Amino acid sequence: MATIATLPEWAALAPALTFAAAAFLLLLADAVSPEEGNPVALAGISLSGALVSLGFTVWYVVEGTGQPREGDPSDAGAIELFDATLVVDGMSLFFSAIIASVVVLVVLASYDYLQDHPYQAEYYSLVLLAATGMTMVTAANSFVTAFIAIELVSLPSYALVSSLKHNRGSVEAGLKYFLIGALSSAIFAYGISLVYVTTGSLQFDAVTSVVEGGELGGIFGLGVLMILGGIAFKIAAVPFHFWAPEAYEGAPAPISAFISSASKAAGFVLAFRVFVDVFTWEFVEPTIDWVVAIQILAIVTMTVANFAALKQEKVKRMLAYSSVGHAGYVLIALAGLTAGADHAFVLGSGMAHLLVYGFMNTGAFLYVALAEYWGVGRRIEDYNGLGAQAPFASATMTVFLFSLAGLPIGGGFVSKYYLLLASIEGEVALLAIALIVNSVVSLFYYTRVLWAIWAENPAADLEIEQYPTGLYAALALAALATVLLLPAFGPVVDLANTAAEMLV
Amino acid sequence: MAVAMEFYLLLSAAVFCIGLFGILVRSNALMFLMSVELMLNAANINLVAFSLAHGNLTGQVFALFLIGLAAAEVAVGIGIILVLNRNFDNIDVTDAVSMRW
Repeated sequence: MATIATLPEWAALAPALTFAAAAFLLLLADAVSPEEGNPVALAGISLSGALVSLGFTVWYVVEGTGQPREGDPSDAGAIELFDATLVVDGMSLFFSAIIASVVVLVVLASYDYLQDHPYQAEYYSLVLLAATGMTMVTAANSFVTAFIAIELVSLPSYALVSSLKHNRGSVEAGLKYFLIGALSSAIFAYGISLVYVTTGSLQFDAVTSVVEGGELGGIFGLGVLMILGGIAFKIAAVPFHFWAPEAYEGAPAPISAFISSASKAAGFVLAFRVFVDVFTWEFVEPTIDWVVAIQILAIVTMTVANFAALKQEKVKRMLAYSSVGHAGYVLIALAGLTAGADHAFVLGSGMAHLLVYGFMNTGAFLYVALAEYWGVGRRIEDYNGLGAQAPFASATMTVFLFSLAGLPIGGGFVSKYYLLLASIEGEVALLAIALIVNSVVSLFYYTRVLWAIWAENPAADLEIEQYPTGLYAALALAALATVLLLPAFGPVVDLANTAAEMLV
Repeated sequence: MAVAMEFYLLLSAAVFCIGLFGILVRSNALMFLMSVELMLNAANINLVAFSLAHGNLTGQVFALFLIGLAAAEVAVGIGIILVLNRNFDNIDVTDAVSMRW
């Protein structure tokens, strides 16, 4: 504790500050020697930035920064900065850890994927700036900081998705992502302005105290709905998911991994904070019953996404729909917050699932990146016989996909089981049934890919010569984390529950 | 004399709806950007007007941030529209459909 006590309060933001510093360092390095372009140095700076940020986060979690000490009430200990517009607590550190881990994997994989890419410094610095935004979203405690941080995530993401400037798919994906993103951030901003109209403040605690004061009327309800819409876009929930398959398919594969894992986690942390903490259900319910709205959203998202994934011919697109489906699963963490439920448990299950999902989903997309690196096609048939050529990578893909489906080979099994318990805890039978049915459905399409990889004969011209170290290291790390989270799930879910308890 | 607060809300709702209508019917990417700008400015009207009504500056400050962010968004958007024009030879958003929905 002594070491923490000597650090100034702003040092609690170190995970985000490290990302920003690394991003600027990259731009500086590029400004000093723009022509040479030393890919190893650029990747090294970004990787060390991400690792330092992860280190800070883990250190803070271990030391108990921003968390209640022994004997404190469960909601004490959060570090509030800048008039409480930013807050560092268990939840923000938990999600910073997810984001930093994903960035480590993505940067490792990008090193090989970006061979011959002309704008590497810009690419890495945009990734790190987006990561800065995501880490700020986790700490946002006011609609102003939340909106600015969300935009800091979105703007680099648009550019990254369309960063293959001569690839029509990439440009089209970037355009669609940008159009829908701009629309949804305008809706989000308008929703925030309506909340300001009715409550007179934008800081979360101040809004909460007005909300607890009594009836707020229809304008406030509309504002809450619009904010829900803006967040649903970030987490790619149906009906705001249309951009996701396009953007993930057209984007460079490491970026698909980044957006589908880290950006989704950032959206969820905002959803948790805004809906659990600010628009407390007991008080908002007479105006707008958001639990029911999110229950519908969750069930529709799971079902639509999983059945759409069944029909896909392209691996990346299938993974995109699977990631939309997982947004539906995690929404259970909000949809299960009915009056009788143990809120900390329900919320904690969703957070723990996001952590596991961060590793397994990133890993699955990085395998696609590896396939793209080898010049293998995008359809499922093109993956025929990859298992014989690259057994190690394909074994990691097996772990990721089965873990995504919820088989007991990785952490995905336990985290889905906890989500099931959460939906039972909330006494929403339909959610539990939807979760089970959709998991079974998802097993079909994941198995299709694995069948192609392991059981089919390769095309005659499939010849793999290079085994890129960075991509392999990223795959191995992600697989290791996914598998280890199966036995180590207990401490993770405890951590998530403690963090959730501070909020509810 | 002061204008009743409802009128500000009506004005901003009207501007917001005009922007939304523009997004739904226009297929030119630049028109799309302008429509998004209208929607963001609708939020600004609310923020500034009710900043006066509530007697605090939060709304005005956030409006400043929104203006800045809108400009940043346009900068990125124009960049994407530029590469769109290079790849597809026009900026019609309904033309870039090489991937199916």
